[in-house]
Amino acid sequence: MSNMISGIGAGNSIGSLGSIGSLPGTAATGGGADAGFGGILNSALDQVNQLNSNAQQQIGSLLTNGNSDLSSVMVAVEKADVAFQLMMQVRNKIVSAYQDIEKMQF
Amino acid sequence: MSQQTPLLGELESFLRLTSVREKTISANMANVDTPGYRTRDIDFQAELGRAMRGRAGYEQSAAGDMRMEPVVREVPGLAERADGNNVDLDREALVLSEVQLQYQLGIQLIKDQFHQILSAINGES
Amino acid sequence: MNLFDSLSISASALSAERQRSEIVAANLANAETTHTEAGGPFHRREVVFEPVSAPSFGFTLSDAVNRGGRVAGEVKIAEVIDDPTPPVLRYEPGNPDANKQGYVAYPAINPAMEMVDLMDSVRSYQLNASAVSATKQMIQQSIDILKS
Repeated sequence: MSNMISGIGAGNSIGSLGSIGSLPGTAATGGGADAGFGGILNSALDQVNQLNSNAQQQIGSLLTNGNSDLSSVMVAVEKADVAFQLMMQVRNKIVSAYQDIEKMQF
Repeated sequence: MSQQTPLLGELESFLRLTSVREKTISANMANVDTPGYRTRDIDFQAELGRAMRGRAGYEQSAAGDMRMEPVVREVPGLAERADGNNVDLDREALVLSEVQLQYQLGIQLIKDQFHQILSAINGES
Repeated sequence: MNLFDSLSISASALSAERQRSEIVAANLANAETTHTEAGGPFHRREVVFEPVSAPSFGFTLSDAVNRGGRVAGEVKIAEVIDDPTPPVLRYEPGNPDANKQGYVAYPAINPAMEMVDLMDSVRSYQLNASAVSATKQMIQQSIDILKS
């Protein structure tokens, strides 16, 4: 199973990010239930939610009392967007991996 | 994500301090004809170092208020006119250009960071 | 937010310099006005610039933020004052505004000085307009982080 995951490319694209998404389950996709597809996707989703709410908070702060710094708000928005794209890629890879597995005839 | 992308965090501090400096320059320019006004500026390098050392404390709190703001000081050594004003038009214009370019640099570096990350995500070379 | 505050500061300066140039232009236009509605010659007027808040050095920007909705660093015209210099008397007995001794009171306005003042005001205006331009560019660049 770990060979399959690392070979699929989900591991590759996530691993090559290095700094941005050290999602659990990419380094050691061993046997644990959390390290499976669902775990990876959930972690990505959590990160997206967190960055998204942070970005919204900063936008709100900028609009109401103007206490945020414009560049920081823009960076926060872009981070949320990038995390979302990461999540979508993870999802796509997982779906295609699942379809590959389905096609296997035993 | 700031913990995972330290360079982004540093760039944010860099841009924030640059915008503070730009505001100070604007204030100097606005008060070029104000009697008794003394030119002000921030020690950019020192403040940047301070921001990068105390990263956690220097970030904005959840409420959005800015703690540990940079300290604005009077600029020494400028010639004073009869009304006590020491704003030098040329100095301010020069620093403004510098600050503008600095800001552009910071923005470009940030964009570059995101491009790198997106390339990795989308699998483009 | 710093960049927007910067725009407010520059805008206040543009407004103040414009007011100043209007006062100077009025001085120039009335350099020879010997008779006003209030009686007597035109009085030369001057503007007094004042910073919106004037803290001593070593402060942090947040100490002086938003006094009455204005940003620290802004400038304003505190008052427009009449020049107390007494009028210049010229001997013109034929002039309807002449006094009993035949002297006419002219405003104590030196057109050359007013012109210099006006040019100075224009220069300051241009300086602050360039600050607005720079700030606008920085704001636009920040928004561009989201593009591409």
